[in-house]
Amino acid sequence: MKKTHLLSFVSAAALIAAIQFTSCKSKQSNEGADTATVKMDTPATTAPVTMATDDQLATGVKDATKDFPGVTATVDKGEITLTGNITRDKLPMLMMALNSLHPKKINNNLTINK
Amino acid sequence: MALQEKYAELIQAAKNAGVTDLQVREQDNVLYIDGKTGDGAVKDSLWDVYNKIDPDFRAGDLILNIDASAAAGSQARVTTESSNLNIRKGPGTDQPIVGKAAHNSTVTVVSRANEQWSLVRTDKGEEGYAYTQYLTQL
Repeated sequence: MKKTHLLSFVSAAALIAAIQFTSCKSKQSNEGADTATVKMDTPATTAPVTMATDDQLATGVKDATKDFPGVTATVDKGEITLTGNITRDKLPMLMMALNSLHPKKINNNLTINK
Repeated sequence: MALQEKYAELIQAAKNAGVTDLQVREQDNVLYIDGKTGDGAVKDSLWDVYNKIDPDFRAGDLILNIDASAAAGSQARVTTESSNLNIRKGPGTDQPIVGKAAHNSTVTVVSRANEQWSLVRTDKGEEGYAYTQYLTQL
């Protein structure tokens, strides 16, 4: 039992020392380097998602679906909902165009024919 | 994080293909992947991976926006399915048609009006706006 206590005391002490040492180090490295630190803490992957307004989406959807006569697209609260018919070979082209409009979500309820 | 795992192969493929400005974010159960490439074949291959993971794009949990359109000042091929490409007075299908660019012909991209429309000049000297998705950079 005693040994265990001693062991945990030693590890705790080591841990505290390590934390203090680290914080000292980081304090030193932060001096006069605020910009660099902020950049490191904000990787490119956390940039906010661009969302189009419903008006922008409605215009974009009209242009994107023009060459797909069987497809009906509606826009509501940033979401595009697709109904109607399309052939499978044309589906990627339509989806590529719609995905570039910055919608919040696309609900694909299309009937797909071969 | 679950969606990043579901689409891990796609994210890795985008990285491997050298897609620039790559952004991967998850928000309200939708994954948003944005990026740019100068190669239309890269965009197509990434869409093939997407279609493999989520057949026919049914899940509604990914917005994949890979911009492979021709840059301003470059030459582009008209890659419509078979028809001629409408050249319009302004950026929108409600704008009057001022010319046509033949399927597979080459046009000069003068500038980008927005993400969907480009100002182009045809080999006949006609100038107007064309739908960017049908232009593949040469």
